[in-house]
Amino acid sequence: MRPFLQGSIFLFRKLIRYSCSFGIIVLLVFLLPRMMPGDPVANLVGEDIYLTDETKETLRAALGLDSPLHEQFVLYSIHLLHLDLGYSYHMHGAVSDILADRAGWTLLYIGISIIIGTCTGIYLGARAGFEHETWWSSLISSLALIISSTPPYLLSLIAMVIFVYHLGWFPFKGFYDTFHILSIIHHLTLPVLILSVFYAARNVLIMRGTVLSEKIQLYPLFARSLGIPERRILIRHIRKNAIIPLIALIALDFGFLFSGALFIEIVFSLNGMGSLMYDAILNRDYPVLTGTFLVIAIFVICANFIADILSLALDPRTRSHP
Amino acid sequence: MIPGLSNLNFRRHGYVPLLCIIVLTLLLIIALFPEQIAPYAQNKRFLPYMDPDNAHLLGTDDMGYDILTLLVYATRISLTIGFFAGGLSLLIGTATGILSGYLRGWVDDMIMGITDITLIIPKIPAIILIAAYVRPGIWILILVLGLLSWETTARVVRAKTMQISNAGFIMSARCLGFPSRSIIIQEIIPVIYPVILPKFMLTIAGAMISEASLSFLGLSDPMMESWGKMISDAFTHGGFIREMWWWFLPPTLCICISVLAVTRLGMMYETDEQEIVSE
Amino acid sequence: MILTVAILACCCLPVMAEEKTLRIATTNEVKSPAFIGDYTLGLFNHISNPPLMQMNDKGELIGLLADRYEVSQDNTEWTFIIKGNQFWSDGTPVTADDVAYSIQMYGTSVPNAGWIGETLTDTQVDGDKVTFRFNKPYTNIALEFTSYSILPKHIWESIENPNEYTSTGPYVGAGPFYIDNVDLNSGKVIFRQNPGWKGKTPAYDTVEISWFKNEDAAAKALESGIMDTYWKYAASYPYAAIASLQKTGDFEVLEKPTSGMTFLGFNLKKEPMSDIAFRDAISNAINYQELVDISTLGHGKIPEKGFVPPAMDGYVRSTPMEYNPDTARNKLEKAGYIDSDKNGIVEGKDGDDIILNLLIRNSYAREAELVKEYLEKVGIGVEVRSVEDNTWFELKDKLEYDITLTRTTPWGMLMHAGWATGYFDSRRTGQGVLHTVDDEAFLTLCDNILGTTDRTLLTGYAKEVQKYYAENLPGIPLYWKNDITPYNKEITGWYSNPLYGIMNEFTFTGVKPAT
Repeated sequence: MRPFLQGSIFLFRKLIRYSCSFGIIVLLVFLLPRMMPGDPVANLVGEDIYLTDETKETLRAALGLDSPLHEQFVLYSIHLLHLDLGYSYHMHGAVSDILADRAGWTLLYIGISIIIGTCTGIYLGARAGFEHETWWSSLISSLALIISSTPPYLLSLIAMVIFVYHLGWFPFKGFYDTFHILSIIHHLTLPVLILSVFYAARNVLIMRGTVLSEKIQLYPLFARSLGIPERRILIRHIRKNAIIPLIALIALDFGFLFSGALFIEIVFSLNGMGSLMYDAILNRDYPVLTGTFLVIAIFVICANFIADILSLALDPRTRSHP
Repeated sequence: MIPGLSNLNFRRHGYVPLLCIIVLTLLLIIALFPEQIAPYAQNKRFLPYMDPDNAHLLGTDDMGYDILTLLVYATRISLTIGFFAGGLSLLIGTATGILSGYLRGWVDDMIMGITDITLIIPKIPAIILIAAYVRPGIWILILVLGLLSWETTARVVRAKTMQISNAGFIMSARCLGFPSRSIIIQEIIPVIYPVILPKFMLTIAGAMISEASLSFLGLSDPMMESWGKMISDAFTHGGFIREMWWWFLPPTLCICISVLAVTRLGMMYETDEQEIVSE
Repeated sequence: MILTVAILACCCLPVMAEEKTLRIATTNEVKSPAFIGDYTLGLFNHISNPPLMQMNDKGELIGLLADRYEVSQDNTEWTFIIKGNQFWSDGTPVTADDVAYSIQMYGTSVPNAGWIGETLTDTQVDGDKVTFRFNKPYTNIALEFTSYSILPKHIWESIENPNEYTSTGPYVGAGPFYIDNVDLNSGKVIFRQNPGWKGKTPAYDTVEISWFKNEDAAAKALESGIMDTYWKYAASYPYAAIASLQKTGDFEVLEKPTSGMTFLGFNLKKEPMSDIAFRDAISNAINYQELVDISTLGHGKIPEKGFVPPAMDGYVRSTPMEYNPDTARNKLEKAGYIDSDKNGIVEGKDGDDIILNLLIRNSYAREAELVKEYLEKVGIGVEVRSVEDNTWFELKDKLEYDITLTRTTPWGMLMHAGWATGYFDSRRTGQGVLHTVDDEAFLTLCDNILGTTDRTLLTGYAKEVQKYYAENLPGIPLYWKNDITPYNKEITGWYSNPLYGIMNEFTFTGVKPAT
């Protein structure tokens, strides 16, 4: 019973911490446009937007900018709870609609990449770490290292030049040509492949590292002395422990699912969240920026929390050593 | 005695770390004395878009600059950014990690809360945002890159500090009445060292790649000719369309090699971690 | 028996009417499916919803939706006579009501067209004529109306906020094609033939404009044959990519001089930029030939002091800009800028070293490097500050710079009183303009131009404007250039005008694929 209590306390403390962080973020996002110099309407609506005076007044009333700050905050929070993230004049639409549109595709191509990259990374990394005297282990880790040392956009560009232009195997841009599953797969293969390779490379390196450090611990030695076959040791015992540091990283990957992969989107002309944010920043489209930021924050916090739960389940030691 | 070099055990690690050190030293020399090494002066222009030949081993770029010269002079900038950003990140990370791990309690919670928020901020958009508002310059860039990458170091340092602050020798130091400051400096840091060194290397690598990515997006200082900027120039000025691989591959290789050398050197320590038994 | 088989065989080999698609590559992105609100879509919809007027390939204004126009004596009443026999893609005829509605809608609902809302007092419809009455005289309404697409009143009048309205299509149009689908996820806009089109039948069934997020992908797509041509608003096909394009042997290029150019602007309110002798000295410090070589790769020429390039109607030849660093140094000395402490930088009237703050947008970095080098060679210090576009707009409007590099577009050259006056007249604000000249002589000249439509008078004024530029150098042109449009050799019938290049009705109805 006691471990359960300890674990719950641990999670509870974390939850409080995350809620506080999120609360601070919401507060920041709320206060910043209202505290910045200049007309709050301009700050809230974004720059380079020409609005007629009457539209400005309607906005002012709708946002309640004339009422005291705490009332505004209540209004703002209510909007948030209704998932109303405001309206973007640059993109001519409600922010929540715009995000929902782009999010779907982004989740698709990044989600798949993360899953492929993680699985491959863990498997290869574990084998490479466990058998690190072999030639192919060095090969894999060298390859992973080289890939991690290359700027991501460069790899994408080279891949595009080779596979799209010279070999003509894949298309130049877009999520699809016609809205058909085959076209989508055809268009997404190369971006997903490249992203997966990057995730996998990083995971291989870390996994290999942790497996190596686990290998020299006492318990694998003990297991070996008991006559347990090598592979069993790896899968049953070491891998479980070695994954733990990786969990936090993978959680982060999922957390940032939403921010898209800007470089992939630029090279392959994909209409995802990365480009949305990039454009929003360059165009000073504050509603989109704040909306996106809040959504990303929630995702990252949730992901972190799940990671905490997972590492608690996998490693009881975390209860006392948060 | 340079701490850490005692680990240069050839039998265990092979000759690779030595290779890394040689490469890094070479790069350092190039960074310090570009005038001696580069074939031409920095602002001498020739015919643009020339193919590599005897006079120009790597050809010329769209403005007629000799690419090899550009490569040599860019070494200083790229390495500076990498090392200083990494160093800044290391400093902040170690300081906060030790504070957090040693003092625990509400200081720990507060610092961890700050790291949470820093973690949540998506890096590239944050950098884009800052670059859009602040006049980009090499030191601003270093500041920003350093400020956005310290949390992993902090976490690792914190975990380690917590782990050893319960160890026997720390306890005894405390009992004996040594002030916290000296405990930290004399006892904790030497033990933490092997943990932060690999992290240091990784942040250097990360900073160099981030800088290259920023140049690609056009957010780095356009007047600053780094390797990343060279690749970005190749991309935006016809280097890719004309398939001038001699323009964008050499800086890529330089980035790769530097990052590789630095990371590989850091990896040297990962197998040496001894589990310190807590009491 | 054999005959039967032969006949059957012939019947079984029907000529499959394959849908012919014209594919255009561009790097102007459509960010949201807002027909009026999105900038790029607003460029594309000139094809589906023709504006009243257009420019022909010589830069002359001719009718598009309108047949012709009449102006009252005092230039306050403009009457457009709409061409007959034009139909929307849903079958209804195009009427003068549609025109009246559209222009009024722009005035009230579209902030960028706010000037219409402020000055249009009355709109009268009479058969196929629309008369617009303004509260002040205008001489260039015909030009302005080349950019406003006319919309079907019966569709749009029920839409509450047209500027914010989004839909992926189809949109009802009256041009040779109508917009059928705006697909952001596949990155293209699909046009289909307008069933109501009574003009020359286009050879193509559909037109697809695809946008790429990076220029290289667009260029490579063109080279590989997936795209038939490349178009970018007010820009040329990247010069660097032309060589490899021509190597494929499948493409021809259309090369035309353009009035879009890059120039060095001065903050005329600050010393020493306000000193004409200083600006004159700078004009000799710049290596124009090198700029032409590097920035246009030979597809341009050294500019002349008159600023206005030959591509513009009304151009008069003036002295070419001259690169002579010694002359520059002498002029500086004569004007009183001397390097007394021999540190390589001349001092200003206040005794301090002259270090100019060169403010640029990020895309001008290369040229800024060169300008800095040229100026430093003659003893003028330069510090480059490169910022992203929005910041540049802000700082430029606040005049927080000494010199800047920026460009003109064909449209910009025509704006205000034409011949680049729009960029310099201090009374006119806007994102790309410098508004630095408040010299009485210049302002009066602009007003004179704006007050008349008399061709001979205008030609005379054009000469005066160029003379003013040559003598006063409010901006120093860096190079003149040609716009390159590549197209697939097998396709003929391309037509290009100075404003919108190949994006015009003549092209879309005239292009023919290889048979």
